[in-house]
Parts: sequence; C-alpha cells; structure tokens
Amino acid sequence: MSFREKSAWISVISMTAIYGYYFWSVVQAGPHLGSFHFAGLLGTVIALIVVQVVLTIAVAIASPGDARAPRDEREKLIELRATRMAYSGLATGIAMACFFGALDPPIVFNTNALLIVLVTAELLRSGCQIVQYRRGA
Amino acid sequence: MGVIRNDIRRLRFEHGEMTQQQLADKIELTRQTVNAIEQGKYSPSLEAAFRISAVFGKPLEAVFRYEEG
Repeated sequence: MSFREKSAWISVISMTAIYGYYFWSVVQAGPHLGSFHFAGLLGTVIALIVVQVVLTIAVAIASPGDARAPRDEREKLIELRATRMAYSGLATGIAMACFFGALDPPIVFNTNALLIVLVTAELLRSGCQIVQYRRGA
Repeated sequence: MGVIRNDIRRLRFEHGEMTQQQLADKIELTRQTVNAIEQGKYSPSLEAAFRISAVFGKPLEAVFRYEEG
C-alpha cells in the first residue's frame, strides 16, 4: 500500500471517528447547545489535527522513501478525479443546506448542516482515492 | 475502445531481473504505478512511456502497442 493510500485511510478513519463522535454529541444535546457547540467543535478540530498528524508521522517513519517522494502522474490523476467527485457532492450538499436553511431552523443546526456537508465531501474525496488505489487505476 | 498493452514485465527480466521498484526509481514513478502500467490498469503519459522505453534502450513501439478492443 502506497503512502498516499495510507494517508487517505488515515483521513477516512480519523474523520469518521472524531466527527462521528461530535455529531452524535450534537444530536444528544438537542437544539440548545450554547457554549458546548463552540467548545465541542474546537475540540473536534484540534483532536482531528493531532490524530492525523501523529498517524501520518508514524506512517512516514515506517516508509520514509515513499513519504518523501513527490506525487507521480497517476497519483495526481487519482487526486483530481476524487476532488471532482467531492466537489459534486459538496455543491449538492450546499444546495440542500440552503433549502434546509430556508425552513428557519436554529442557527446551530444551520452551522452543523454545513459542517456535515463539508465532512461528507472530504470523506467522499478520500473514499474515491482509496477505491482508485485499490483498483490500481 | 482499444487498450494499450506492454512488454515491461518481460523487458525487466531481460534486463537483469530488474524489480518494479528499480524501474520506478529510474523513471520517477511509484512502484504501484509501474505495477498498474504493467497490468494494463493505467495508461502512462507519453512522457512516462518514452522514459520507460529509454530505460530498456528500445523504441516506444517495442515496449507499448495499441490493440483494438
């Protein structure tokens, strides 16, 4: 497995676990989140950065040659295809969030709806990369 | 739609049993990309195809060929 594929797996696993916990907490707390919302989101972002940096460094130490090598043409193509797919998901999600916003929900719901769209698009991007790496394409 | 076939695997073995990693290092691609090219799962750019041919000292058409599907 290449370094780039491992990075994509790190992204999928860490985002699923950490944002999954965050969104579960939001649902549990209901519409009156107050300061928890900001603290929870800040903690989530920090946790995500720490986990991804630590895991990426660990993978890079295990295979330093792969980690130092620049992306080759196939890896760039895989990234471009995945980004195109994620952009479609992001655009669709934003449009849906706009309609959701028209229903005049509490602001915390609006914020989290946009965050879900962003996280989903990023998961889509990493997921598409993994599928292409697995196929060898 | 046609496919691009190649003889990279045979040529590697004819050149001192060169590994995929050794070939990848010479042409600045990853080993996984060389493997994908060998298996016909990825068609390299023209530039990469020329670099691969140059490693084996062969013209492009001796390494790659286009077959109608």
